[in-house]
Amino acid sequence: MRSPAVRMFRSLEGLFCVYKPAGVHWKLVRDTIETNLLKGVNATSAQPLPHEVRFLSNPNNKPEAAGGLALRAAAVPVLSKHPLVTGPEFQHIKVGVGHLLDASSSGVFVLAVGNGNRTLNDLYRTRTTREYTLECEFGTATHDFTQMGRVVERSTYDHITLDKMERVISMLEGANQKALRMYSSVDMSSQEAYELAVKGLLGPDGKSVPILTGLRCIHFQPPNFTLEVQCLNETQKYLRKVVHEMGLELRSTAVCKGVRRTRDGPFTLQDALTRHHWTAADVMQAIQQYRSKKRSKKGSRTLTDKAVLQTSEETLSLSGKRS
Amino acid sequence: MALSCVRLCPRHMGPALHVCGYATLSRASRPQEKSSGGPVFQYVGEHRQPTHKVFVWGFSFTGALGIPSFVVPDSGRKKPRKYQFTPYRLETAEQISSAACGYGFTLMASSTKDVTKLWGMGLNKDSQLGFQRTQHSRHKSYDYVLEPSPVALPLIQPQQTRVVQVSCGRAHSLVLTDQEGVFSMGNNAYGQCGRTIVEEEVYSGSHVIHRIEGFSSRVVQVACGQDHSLFLTDTGKVFSCGWGADGQTGLGHHSISSCPVEVGGDLGGVEVQQISTYGDCSLAVSRDGQLFGWGNSEYRQLTLATESTQVRRSDVQGCRNELNIGGDTYWKPYRFVNGLTCFIGLKCLIPLMSLHGIMTYGNIQYLDLQKIKKQHLLRLFLCMKICN
Repeated sequence: MRSPAVRMFRSLEGLFCVYKPAGVHWKLVRDTIETNLLKGVNATSAQPLPHEVRFLSNPNNKPEAAGGLALRAAAVPVLSKHPLVTGPEFQHIKVGVGHLLDASSSGVFVLAVGNGNRTLNDLYRTRTTREYTLECEFGTATHDFTQMGRVVERSTYDHITLDKMERVISMLEGANQKALRMYSSVDMSSQEAYELAVKGLLGPDGKSVPILTGLRCIHFQPPNFTLEVQCLNETQKYLRKVVHEMGLELRSTAVCKGVRRTRDGPFTLQDALTRHHWTAADVMQAIQQYRSKKRSKKGSRTLTDKAVLQTSEETLSLSGKRS
Repeated sequence: MALSCVRLCPRHMGPALHVCGYATLSRASRPQEKSSGGPVFQYVGEHRQPTHKVFVWGFSFTGALGIPSFVVPDSGRKKPRKYQFTPYRLETAEQISSAACGYGFTLMASSTKDVTKLWGMGLNKDSQLGFQRTQHSRHKSYDYVLEPSPVALPLIQPQQTRVVQVSCGRAHSLVLTDQEGVFSMGNNAYGQCGRTIVEEEVYSGSHVIHRIEGFSSRVVQVACGQDHSLFLTDTGKVFSCGWGADGQTGLGHHSISSCPVEVGGDLGGVEVQQISTYGDCSLAVSRDGQLFGWGNSEYRQLTLATESTQVRRSDVQGCRNELNIGGDTYWKPYRFVNGLTCFIGLKCLIPLMSLHGIMTYGNIQYLDLQKIKKQHLLRLFLCMKICN
C-alpha cells in the first residue's frame, strides 16, 4: 500500500523544462526545484499513525493483588512511525539536468526527475540541436566577449550594412556546413551519406567541435543586432566568441549582450516554467504534458519493430532540423 | 522538514559556489559608458565602396580568363583547368574601371592617363585584341593571348586621353575614349567595325585599329552585339552598323551597314539614355523612362509589343540566322514598357524597372554569366535571384 507521497512522487517522474533566468547559476535552479518538489511531496496529507495493541499495566491496581500484574490491552499509536521521529518521507529527490547554461545566459533548461533521468540520458545520446537568440552590439570588444567584461577595444561601425552582415553570415554558415560533413563518420561519396543527408541526419555522433547548423540575423539596427542560431555541441562562451569574430570579419568589433536559449531538442519556450511556477503542482502538470506528447508521438508512428530509441532519435533530429 | 532543506543545499554546493547566493553575480565592471576614455578605432570609412578587384570565371582554354596556368600549368603534375566555376581573383597592373567579355576574349581598360590603358586576353584570331607581337617574330601576332597584354591604341595624345568604356562582340571590339572618339578592331566582315568592308580581308595578324567617323556628336556609350555595333551620342541619338539580317541594326532594312547610321523608327526624336545589346537583340532606354527594342525575337524577347498595332515585317526571306520558332523579327525600334536600365542576355531581356521591380522576357533557360558585363554583375545577380 503506497503512501500518498510515494504516489505523488511516481506521478512526478519524467522530463520538464524551466526558464533559467540570467545571473543565476544553474545549480541553484536545480536545487530550488529539488527543494520545492520535496516540499510538495512531503506536504501530502500524512497518513494516520498505525496503532498496535500493547498490554499496559494498570497503575491504579493495588500492588498486593494476588497472582501477578493486572494488564489491560490498549491500542496505542506506534510512536516509531511518527513523522517527528522518522523525519520526512522524502529527503532527497534525484533531479538531473540536461544541457547546461552558464550563469549569464538564460532560457530553456531541461530537468528530469527520478526515472526520467534514464530518458534524459537516452535523449542526449541522440543528436539534438539547440536554438539560441543572441542579442549583440557593435562597437566594443571585451576580454570575455560579454558586455560586462573589460573593454579591450572600441571601434566605429557606420560602414556596416545588412548585406555585408549577410555575406559574413553565409561565409560562417558555409564553414559550419563543411564541418558538419567532416565530423560525420560516414564516407561522403557513399549512398549512405546521401540518404542520411536527405533525412537531415548527417552530422557528428557524440562529441565534436561546436557546429552551427543554422545562423541568421533576425534584427539589424546598428549598433544593435540579433542573431538566431541553431547549434550542436556548443557552449554559450563559444556563441559569444562567434559574435566577437563576426564583428572582426566586418572590420569592427561586436559584443554579446545576452544569450537566450529558445529551444533544447523538443522542449521550447512555450513549455518552460517561469520562476513563480517552480512548485510541485506546476512541475507535475508539465510532466503530464510531456508524457502525453510522447504518447501521441509513439501512437502516430506505425513502425512497431523499431526501437524506441531510434524513433525518438528521428523525432528529435526532425524537430532539431532548421525549418 | 525545513531543517532538511537547509542541510541539502550546502551538501551539494562546491566550495566555489558559497560566494554567490541567490542574488545576481557581482559584476566585474559596470556596463561601459559611451563617454568613457580610450581611443575609438576606425578601420573602414563610412562610405567605403568595395575596391576595384577583377574576378574571372568560365571557360579558360581560349585564355580569356587571363591566367596562363589554367591553360599551360606551371608544374608537370598539374592538369589544365578547363572551367573555373567560382570567381578567381585576377591581379591587374592598374585599377580596372571597365571590362567586357566577348566570344572567347576579354578586354579590360583602366581610366588612367598612362600610355598603357587597355589590356586584352583570349582569342585573337581576328585581331580583336589588336596586334599582339610574338616573341620571336615582329610580323606575327599571337592567335591566343593567355595573359592580360597591353593593346596599343593609335591615339593622337596618348597621355591626355582616358578610356571610358570597352565593349566586345563575337569577333570585334570597340573602345570608347573621352577625347578621341571610338576605336574599333577585329573582324569587319559585316561592317561591324564601322569601316568599309574589304573583300577577303585577312583579319588575323592585322594592325588595323580604326577610328570611327560619321557621328553627329560625341559618343558617350558603345555596345556590341554579336556582329553589329551600337553607339549612343550625348544628344541621345543612337547609331548602328554591322550585320542587320534580324533587324538588329534597327535601320529599317535587313542588310549590312558598314558605316554608322542613325537609328530611326520610334526612336526618332527620342533622347536615349542607355543602350544595350547582345546576340541579335537590342534595347534602348530613353531619358523619360521608356524602353525601346528591336532585333531578333526568336525567343519572344520582344513579345510584349506584339499586342500593339505596329507594323512589323513578317516575311523572312532575307534572313539567314533566324530559326522561325514562332518568333518575330522587329526591324525598327518599338516602344513597349517603361524601364530604367536594361541588360540583355543571350536569349532574354532583363529590364531593370526600379530597384525592386524586375521583369524578364524570353527564354531564360541558359544564362551565361561569362558573357555579361562585370560592372553590372551585382544588379544581374539580383535579376537572377528573382528569375530563379
